[in-house]
Amino acid sequence: MPAPEAAGKGTLVQPNILPGFGLTFGFTTFFLSAIVLIPMAALVSMAASSHWHEFVHTVFSERALASYRLSFGASLLAASINLVFGFILAWTLVRYDFPGRKLIDALIDLPFALPTAVSGIALTTVFAQNGWLGHYLALGGIKVAYTWVGVTIALTLIGMPFMVRTVQPALAEVQTDLENAAEMLGASRFYVFRRIILPIVVPAMLTGFALAFARGVGEYGSVIFIAGNLPFKTEITPVLIVIRLEEYDYHGAAALGCVMLSISFLGLWAINHLQSWRRSRLAEGGR
Amino acid sequence: MSITLDQITKRYQGAPVVNDVSLDIGDGEFFVLLGPSGSGKSTLLRAIAGLTGVDHGRISLHGRDVTHVAARQRGVGLVFQNYALFRHMTVADNIEFALRVRRVRAAQRRERRRELLRLVALEGMDDRLPTQLSGGQQQRVAVARALAHKPEVLLLDEPFGALDAKIREELRRTIREVQRELGITTVLVTHDQEEAFALADRIGIMNHGRLLEMGRPEDLYARPATRFVATFLGAANLVLARHTARGICVGGDPVTPPGSASTPAVRDHEVVAVLRPEDIEIAPGRQELESNFLGLGTVEQQLFVGANERLRVRLNNSADAGPIVTSEGGDTGDALLEVTRTQHDRRGYPVSSGQAVALGVRRLHVLATPLSSFTACAASETQVLTLSEEPLLVQLANRMKTRVSTRIEPSLGQPGESSATALAGVAVISAAPEAVAALQWLLRQGAEAVLLLPPQAPSPSRVLIHWLDEAARRATLAVSASLLRHVSAEAVYVGILPQDDETHRPLGMRALLDARSEAQAVHGLEIRTELGFGDVSQELTRRLAEAPNQLLILGVSNIEVLAERFAALLSHTRSPLLVVWQPAEGGAHAGT
Repeated sequence: MPAPEAAGKGTLVQPNILPGFGLTFGFTTFFLSAIVLIPMAALVSMAASSHWHEFVHTVFSERALASYRLSFGASLLAASINLVFGFILAWTLVRYDFPGRKLIDALIDLPFALPTAVSGIALTTVFAQNGWLGHYLALGGIKVAYTWVGVTIALTLIGMPFMVRTVQPALAEVQTDLENAAEMLGASRFYVFRRIILPIVVPAMLTGFALAFARGVGEYGSVIFIAGNLPFKTEITPVLIVIRLEEYDYHGAAALGCVMLSISFLGLWAINHLQSWRRSRLAEGGR
Repeated sequence: MSITLDQITKRYQGAPVVNDVSLDIGDGEFFVLLGPSGSGKSTLLRAIAGLTGVDHGRISLHGRDVTHVAARQRGVGLVFQNYALFRHMTVADNIEFALRVRRVRAAQRRERRRELLRLVALEGMDDRLPTQLSGGQQQRVAVARALAHKPEVLLLDEPFGALDAKIREELRRTIREVQRELGITTVLVTHDQEEAFALADRIGIMNHGRLLEMGRPEDLYARPATRFVATFLGAANLVLARHTARGICVGGDPVTPPGSASTPAVRDHEVVAVLRPEDIEIAPGRQELESNFLGLGTVEQQLFVGANERLRVRLNNSADAGPIVTSEGGDTGDALLEVTRTQHDRRGYPVSSGQAVALGVRRLHVLATPLSSFTACAASETQVLTLSEEPLLVQLANRMKTRVSTRIEPSLGQPGESSATALAGVAVISAAPEAVAALQWLLRQGAEAVLLLPPQAPSPSRVLIHWLDEAARRATLAVSASLLRHVSAEAVYVGILPQDDETHRPLGMRALLDARSEAQAVHGLEIRTELGFGDVSQELTRRLAEAPNQLLILGVSNIEVLAERFAALLSHTRSPLLVVWQPAEGGAHAGT
């Protein structure tokens, strides 16, 4: 929210270290077009070139609908899990100093660096019915590998660094003085958390959530091993697309791709919108 | 009393950052805690607020012991240096925060907010966000926010630190007005002496975790008791002078300091005198001086600073005057005096660099410290040089802003031989088996305090105090108080009884209480007390062996007793030992 007197200056082009606005904007549009917009447009045109009837048939088939449910449902669930536990992880790393803190901090990034297929194999080994953890879970009647639970676990692992790395800097910004000030004014710990810490960290958490969710929807490598890919049960949309491709059904694959594209775009757009709405509400309070 | 602190100690990684601070602050008083950064003043404030726990001691607010009460239940308002405003809330929400927490109704909240905004002169700013305000305005909001729930005590932690000079002065006035209007007990922490003078009813000065002195600003300025306060509060020249029967001799005529005229029968000894720059007069010659003649000097440097003129004048006869330390942190051994004159005086007698002038003293103040300077004594030149470069000795001298002079005494410790001139300040000898003889010899020469220094002794973190008989109590406490103001160590008086039984124990406890109350009343020094049993020498040796980094201050009134009973302790000590000697009333000078 710009200060009232600064509002008039907003249109002025600020001097910058990068050359002129024209050049940088031109480069931005070119870059986005070449690697994002044009391939997407090709996807949409490919899907559109198929017969309308055929398109509906592919997109709304029972198998496709089941895969959407799993893909988006598991991604949402995984992102939500990360929202809570990623926050706690980030909090621990920012607020406490303990032996091995640097090591844990480095471990967070590991899912970024590992080929996702490797994570998938590792998870399957651990959670398979005869695996280290899967063995005990099976005793309790919980099956992880080859169920939707396994899919969610894989997606949680993949999304975790996105959450932690976006929340960490925001948490570091909450000075302990702010908490002390609130405490001196009589606030309980829970009140301080709800009224002081959360409002400062929520935008970062939303961004982290969106990133983790988007990553989950697009994830392929780590899921295929642990999911087992049973049609109608543990088959995620990306796997279905690959299957269509292997059947040389390019139009079908493109149609499914279009559906994923639109749902993901709608989801991300909604989260961004929520953030800007929050900001404008704050700014209104400032008038 | 509104705030009562009783022997507050806070340690950080073993070292005390707040060291035995006791303090009473009255209702409605504006108390300023002044000290350099790292002196423990902010930690003390946080302890009062409840944001930091204490390791020892008690805190009471309005008679209620709050030592273990959570910050939110202490009824205290705190203002931070960096404002700590909630940026996602408007000014109104910030101010009403404490009321919202307490579920006060909206109408009441609004009314209280209006009242507070008027008080800090920010009417109509209710709906702004903190980021839309200037630094000064933000701090006003922080003050209003801290006062919203009507706390009984207001604490301010360097509230003007991040503001520029002009805004600072404005805000200072506002805070003073608010404090007066509400009559709220206030403690402000700052490192800025000007701020302290402008705001305080009383100032407490902290250094190395200790509360050195407290009092009304004008009293502290006119009659500081310690070197630190003399140089930290305003500018000062610290001068080593001789206190003789005729008065205080700095160089020329003896000067009689105000209030000390009634002590004619003093033995000639070294003292530390404070000369305020504005109390030094300069004139073309000795005859033109209106005050007591101090010496002849040469103007070295001249600075125009608005209302005043600042001069640095080198004393020509500095050999007998001793080193001068200015609050600018001049080098020891430098005979540069800082002088300030009003523009009126400057017009009457303009001077320029290089000009020879006569200096006079209008007023001087003698510090109560018995530790004026150090004199390293040894039999040969190499020994003296090694001794004078001992890290602990150098550290003490630096902190006391005094000199270490050296003295070669070939006959040191040999019976019968005596030295021609009197010793100045504390004599320092290295700890060695033959030190007992040297110690006796020095005491016979008239040394009042002798420091036995083992090689490479570390800075003490604990100082043990003991006197062998009551006659030595006064002098021992005076030396202890002076030393402890310059080291960040805990002080413990050790009372020792022959045996632990029903008849002795009450006596021992009484002696401990007496020691503690005298230290507090006469020297403003807080000490702990501990009771031991058995042979004094053995008990002290045992306690010194318990932990490294200890120093023992031992008061004696009989040299022979010292040599007989403490030979083992004195000759084999690995801790520094400070022996204070005071003969019993009417006793012979050299003891019997």
